[in-house]
Amino acid sequence: MATVTVEGFPVRTEFSYDLTHHMWVEELGGERVRVGMDALGLETSGTLAHLMMVEVGTEVARGEPFGSLEAEKYVGPLVAPLSGTVLAVNADAVASPSLVQSDPYGAGWMVELSASDLEGERSGLVSGDEIVTRFAQKVTEYRLEGVLAE
Amino acid sequence: MDRSATLRVIDFGTVTPLRSQTLWHAIASGVSAGGPPTLAFCRPGGRYVSIGFHRSIDELDPEMCGPTGLAVFRRMVGGGPVYIDPGQLFFQMVVPADWATARRGETIRRLLEPAVAAFRDVGIPASFDDEIVLGDRKICGHAGGQIGGALVAVGNVIDSFDHAAAASIVRAPAPEARDEYLRQMRRFVAATPTDFDAFVAAATHRYADAFALDPFPGDLDATERRELDRLDRLFVDPEWVGGVEGRRRPWWRVKVTSKVWVTHARIDALRVTAAFREGRVRSVRVCTDDGVSVATRNVEEVMRRFGAPRIGELLEEMAAGAPA
Repeated sequence: MATVTVEGFPVRTEFSYDLTHHMWVEELGGERVRVGMDALGLETSGTLAHLMMVEVGTEVARGEPFGSLEAEKYVGPLVAPLSGTVLAVNADAVASPSLVQSDPYGAGWMVELSASDLEGERSGLVSGDEIVTRFAQKVTEYRLEGVLAE
Repeated sequence: MDRSATLRVIDFGTVTPLRSQTLWHAIASGVSAGGPPTLAFCRPGGRYVSIGFHRSIDELDPEMCGPTGLAVFRRMVGGGPVYIDPGQLFFQMVVPADWATARRGETIRRLLEPAVAAFRDVGIPASFDDEIVLGDRKICGHAGGQIGGALVAVGNVIDSFDHAAAASIVRAPAPEARDEYLRQMRRFVAATPTDFDAFVAAATHRYADAFALDPFPGDLDATERRELDRLDRLFVDPEWVGGVEGRRRPWWRVKVTSKVWVTHARIDALRVTAAFREGRVRSVRVCTDDGVSVATRNVEEVMRRFGAPRIGELLEEMAAGAPA
């Protein structure tokens, strides 16, 4: 397990990332994956007030919502980084969204999926040596847009 | 932004309570499907309660709301339960989701800034400080969210506000908690009587100018009307209105504004109600079941009177808790 700090944000380098929607993916073996939100996504969301996830057994498609979050009176979708069937929902995170913000890559995971096309969709994620560079690019992009303060 | 782009403006006038919610949700479906950015207005024709997407129906007083009281509609954007009546003008700005910035709070602020300018145009020197305020008073309830492929920001102009009715819709754990909620609302939530038509004109100008869009008067299209029929059914479906089980909190808490909230908790035989502003105690009332009731701004006095250091700890915990 390796956590590095990139431009002030923790990043787990053994995970894969959908940096558009700020979701991480941890492969747990076979088709089973765990999904959560990365630290940059949490920073730009604001303080999470509520989380809601679909029920176990629900099929979700990559790029479609598997739940919703609310922060600062804004309700937005949690977007699935992979297609699959929901195997588990982190009830602790739903009950206490602050858990997601305090431990985004650990106890603050959101759902576990049985990925339906892991081989095919894995290439759409950022992983390996690219992670640090691409994450840093995203932070720079946000700073240039004024989304993040220097 | 493309100068030739248009802003559809729809003023629905006075509509039923149900339609005052479903109309703009239908517009969101139209914008998701490629329809133009849309600024909509309506005035609810009756009293009702609107509850935010993630909030528990258990937050509402069961005698005041629901089958024996005011109708309850669950919206698809955020925030808590709110009391609505004909003294309010609603406005909604609905734009494609790709207009969002990465920071959600910033997106909502951008979508509300033209409304702030419109308030000022009609003589109300409003500003934006987490919400639309006049000085330290909230004058506009707002919420936002992504509905399908559309971003929505909603708000209201309050011509008159029945604070007592607004306080009555919330399930309160004790009479003194509701009283404190009402007291703080009277202090920090204000109506700004104005000519609604003048606000509509000003907002139309300000939104068109802010987003470089050419306004034109419009209406729902056929697809949106079909969606409206579906939403009319959905919004009265008890399962939709009931929502999901709410988050359990260690104490009762209700937000008055983004900076002011009221909390209540019990410590053994003591009932503690406290109001906070930006995390600082504004007032504390401690009641006992045998009729003693003490109100003060002085936490030390409360602790001395009741000999209860746990009250101090509780107040610190309550103060640290951000309002939902």
